[in-house]
Amino acid sequence: MANLRALSAVGLVAFFALWTLIALSGLVRPQFLPTPLAVAEEFVRLLQTPFAGYTLEQHLVSSLGRFGLGFALAVAIGVPLGLAMGWFRTLDAIVSPLFDALRFVAPIAWVPFAALWFGTGIGGPVLIIFSGALPPCLINAYRGAKFVEPRYVEAARMMGASHWRIVSEVLLPASVPSIVAGLRVSAGLGWQSLIGAELIVASSGIGYLMVKGQSNISTAIVMSGMIAIGLVGVVIDVLLRALQARIERHRR
Amino acid sequence: MRKYVWMLALVAGTAVAQQEIKVSYQPALYWSLPYYIATEKGWWQELGLKPAFSTFPAGVPQIAASASKSWDVGGAGSVPGILGAARYQIVTIGITNDESVGNALMATREKADAFVRNPGSIKGQPIVLTANSTGDYAVQSCLRKWGLQKSDVSIKSMGQAEIISAMSSGNADLGGLWAPNIYTLEEKAGGKLICSGKDANAIIPGVLFVRAEYAKEQPENVAKYLAIYIRAQQWALAHRKEAIAMMKKFYDQGGVSISEASMNKEFDTRPVYDLAQQLKIMDRAGGQSDVDKWLTGIGEFMRANGTFPEAPATKNFVTDEYLRRVDGDPKLKAFANRKD
Amino acid sequence: MRIAKTDGAIAAGTVAAVLVAWWLLTATQVIPPIRFPSPREVWEALRQVALAGYADARLHVHVLHSAKLVLMGFVVAVATGVPLGLAMGWSKRTEALVNPTFLLIRPIPPLAWIPLAIVWLGLGDAAKVLVIWFAAFVPSVINSYAGVRSLEAHVIEAARVLGATRGMMVREVLIPGAAPHIFTGLRLSLQACWTTLVAGELIGAAAGLGRVLAQGALDIFPAMILVGMVFVAISGGVMTWALGAIESRAMPWRT
Repeated sequence: MANLRALSAVGLVAFFALWTLIALSGLVRPQFLPTPLAVAEEFVRLLQTPFAGYTLEQHLVSSLGRFGLGFALAVAIGVPLGLAMGWFRTLDAIVSPLFDALRFVAPIAWVPFAALWFGTGIGGPVLIIFSGALPPCLINAYRGAKFVEPRYVEAARMMGASHWRIVSEVLLPASVPSIVAGLRVSAGLGWQSLIGAELIVASSGIGYLMVKGQSNISTAIVMSGMIAIGLVGVVIDVLLRALQARIERHRR
Repeated sequence: MRKYVWMLALVAGTAVAQQEIKVSYQPALYWSLPYYIATEKGWWQELGLKPAFSTFPAGVPQIAASASKSWDVGGAGSVPGILGAARYQIVTIGITNDESVGNALMATREKADAFVRNPGSIKGQPIVLTANSTGDYAVQSCLRKWGLQKSDVSIKSMGQAEIISAMSSGNADLGGLWAPNIYTLEEKAGGKLICSGKDANAIIPGVLFVRAEYAKEQPENVAKYLAIYIRAQQWALAHRKEAIAMMKKFYDQGGVSISEASMNKEFDTRPVYDLAQQLKIMDRAGGQSDVDKWLTGIGEFMRANGTFPEAPATKNFVTDEYLRRVDGDPKLKAFANRKD
Repeated sequence: MRIAKTDGAIAAGTVAAVLVAWWLLTATQVIPPIRFPSPREVWEALRQVALAGYADARLHVHVLHSAKLVLMGFVVAVATGVPLGLAMGWSKRTEALVNPTFLLIRPIPPLAWIPLAIVWLGLGDAAKVLVIWFAAFVPSVINSYAGVRSLEAHVIEAARVLGATRGMMVREVLIPGAAPHIFTGLRLSLQACWTTLVAGELIGAAAGLGRVLAQGALDIFPAMILVGMVFVAISGGVMTWALGAIESRAMPWRT
């Protein structure tokens, strides 16, 4: 075990060393590949001095708020709908073609419509995040419901359970692992879509920070933004993974 | 007791008198500085307006947002303004500034001299610009000045931030930028301006506009909006030093940091218009006003670009009605003409 | 999601119902034209881009350009992602070495790479492929990894006991065993390629569906944006179907 930990450390160090080497070698102009240290310095500076109107964490809070709303909406609609589609064949047949058609549309393509329908309201970014976060929620709930052990369903049916009860008391609990896995992917996608939306229509947020950094020819700011995005993404994933582990332990 | 009732009525009256008005603009631009100044000076309240601001990274999302009535009045470049007239009922009611010098074809430091000496060598080159913008118009006007066609070059469209990235890293030699991005490229990457809209005899105004529906509902507020904007702009001209200090703060908020020299350049090279001048350039006594001529030219450019099959006629969306309203109201006129 | 023949009728019916509802709502102005284009407007936009051209090229040129970029990004992503995922799944040491870096880079949205892509690789295809590659790389790695992990230990043991060489192990145990997961990863990668395409083509594309979408947004031309979206969906669907055909050819034991 200790060997593996050491290897992980080595891997990380090698990554940063390689980065620093390339940055210092002059292969790329320093403006366009700052050293990890330079980026770290910028990152810290952004936490203290506002850029483009707010400090780094203020931008983050802005982004997180939008993400929270969009993600919550995706879960609230995607999970029940997915479960229902897993159970009711007709519903599946109706929704599936529409869903499959819309799946390929990049969340960012909805930005013009978001501007048209919601203008400056929070509805715009929420729509974008929703479009990115919905598919995994729905698909995983659907898969979970469809692949439940038939005997549980049979047993429930024999006992005369109504459709509603079957969905909520048999399918839902059995699909929880799949649903939670879906939540993880969904959160990741939703968070990524948010940045896309902010790159185009926003006046605060991490994506906005990055565009302003780009206009200022400050690659260090752009990379600080990327790091912030990455860190938050990791934190969200870790939290959901803990939730997943909790649930699995609970079920055993 | 009566005293209190009167006081309450007064307070209530003042509260009601502060009319809400939604104002849209793009941050960190020379022509949107007046909004900041007016807010700092409390001039909105002075005329009984309570502004709610919304900012946009560019003119297009700003215009699109009008569809959901997210804003009532605002300002933008002439290209989005005309787009707004074509797609929605956005009425142009004034001019923010003449930004012909602030929209230009730029070249990287290494190649600039060669292009200036021999503009013909631009033939066959790729040019990066933001399609359907004032920058696009400036570049194509410059090409025309040198006897080149759009088909003689290869135009790639992308956002201003991407253009700055591409040019500063040497991945693009020619690009169309607008201020303050022009100054950012000059100061931070040694870029050189080789032809501005002015050099190509293309007048590029910025416009003030209003949603047609709102204008019908609240014409008085629209007139007040114009008066406040004009006063703030004129104040900046008369108090250059203080205005530059405000500009620095305003630009910082929008993530732009350019030198004081460049900020002064903005003032020096971008004509603005006081009330009388605005009326003059909108005057249709001789058939077409100056503004009509400018916007028709730009509309034609957009039509040639394929934005719409026919450019909207300026007679249908440009009006000096609200400027005349300000002029005809002694209180508003005095307000707009104050230099303090 | 698979739909049996009997549901095909319902599916067709739904699509028809949606189209009719769309036509009705826009014709009666329940949805005002500025909020959402009517079927007629979309049809006009389609005719414009297919026949006269829009954003400097005609529809088929746009589709081909995009398909080319997607394929390039997809191939690079799969060629790098699948071996890496397999290696990480197979060797705990490789996993320990690579995982931290992978975890760090993974959550960064493909779009966020654009500024760096431009300054490192310029405005050509390489920068766009980088952005697309990044999006498609991750699902390939993750699913190939999962594929290896899903192999039952006794199968691997059995192969070892029977004297399988490294090469044989990889070719005849690892890859076939992980194949279902690998293909799931391929599907997700392909989808990621298409959805990231729009972002990739923001880097000054001369033609492409992403360019059509971007220009449509700049012109506030929602009907054209819809046309672009529809063709992205169709192209994506066609490629996915092709991938599915390869999958059933490669793994005939799975329906």
